[in-house]
Amino acid sequence: MRTEAETRAVLRDWVLKKASGLDPEQLADSTALFEQRYLRSVHLPELLLLLERLRGAPIEVEHLNLDNFGSLDAMVRFVCVPESAP
Amino acid sequence: MTKAAAGSALSTALASIDDTVARLSHLSRRSYQNPYTALSEWPETVRPDEEWFSSPEYVSLYGTRMWDELDEPARRRLAFQEAANFYSLNIHGEKSLMRGLAARLYRPDLLGVADYLHHFLDEENKHSIYFGQFCRKYARIYRSRQIAGTETRPQHVEDLLFFAKTLIFEEIVDYYNRVQARDGRLHPVARFINHNHHYEEARHLVFGRRLLAVLWEVCTAELTAEQVDDVRDYLSQFFVMTWREFYNPDVYAEVNLPEPWELAETAWTTPYQRDLRRRVSAGCVKFLISTGILSEEPHDAY
Repeated sequence: MRTEAETRAVLRDWVLKKASGLDPEQLADSTALFEQRYLRSVHLPELLLLLERLRGAPIEVEHLNLDNFGSLDAMVRFVCVPESAP
Repeated sequence: MTKAAAGSALSTALASIDDTVARLSHLSRRSYQNPYTALSEWPETVRPDEEWFSSPEYVSLYGTRMWDELDEPARRRLAFQEAANFYSLNIHGEKSLMRGLAARLYRPDLLGVADYLHHFLDEENKHSIYFGQFCRKYARIYRSRQIAGTETRPQHVEDLLFFAKTLIFEEIVDYYNRVQARDGRLHPVARFINHNHHYEEARHLVFGRRLLAVLWEVCTAELTAEQVDDVRDYLSQFFVMTWREFYNPDVYAEVNLPEPWELAETAWTTPYQRDLRRRVSAGCVKFLISTGILSEEPHDAY
């Protein structure tokens, strides 16, 4: 089981690999990744697989919206606080 | 350029593929199918432990240590569930495709291809009947992890991305279809589904390549360098998205393999699988680079 800090680090690495034009210094925990178009819908299936892997449990896609993982903070909450997930 | 002018440019450019569209429409009419005739001949039950439903070398765990550790019945059970996953991917892909085709049917600037869009829609619907019947009768329909986006783009860019995504998905799937249609180890129903899909998709691929070249030609006159980069980034990630769904933890869980998400990640990075994805994608990537739609291989997909 990863700690919250380890989970955040894995997600941060993934976002930086995927988000074109985003410098590490620009990426804050609250950066609105989809709103600012660093990530797009085409990234979602891969992101969902990563979130499921970090949680160790499936995520029901039908009840999701972008707010559930719109920033690093939201993603970490999603993984580490099970009741926050649909 | 205004939307009307762009539409006019597209109508004019489409005239260059009139002959292809007429020939493909003729072929579609000649091989018009009733899927329910074939379905009535399918067996009531199948034996996933004893028969192959996917070519083993194309199963997502082939080349991993886990594959080496599985006994023969377990490999066949996995190959059976991977067939259901492959058919499920097709069902989800074809749902999006049918929505996109229906939205473009009889659009004034696409009138030149309207007759063929009818065939395209009809044939995709029939493919989904086969895939859906297999999954419901013998296995299950696996879920998709795709979520509809909220991004908006100019219409000509949306058209380009829609038909480019369609082509990428269909070319990858068609490679599997061609291999598995010829594989004498596979159950006759699996060979039939793969053969039939390939037989019909061959026309869609010809149409897709011709249309995409026209759309790109129309688009490049309009796009800034930044927009071109955006299209290329998007399509490269689409390769990743498409391939990732072949490594489905839900399938591994279904056949009781431990730590299904870790297993998916291990399989994704296994050299044999990376090489397989590159090999299967090669024809499509070569076409996209030759037209200028991509400037390089989608490295993250391998």
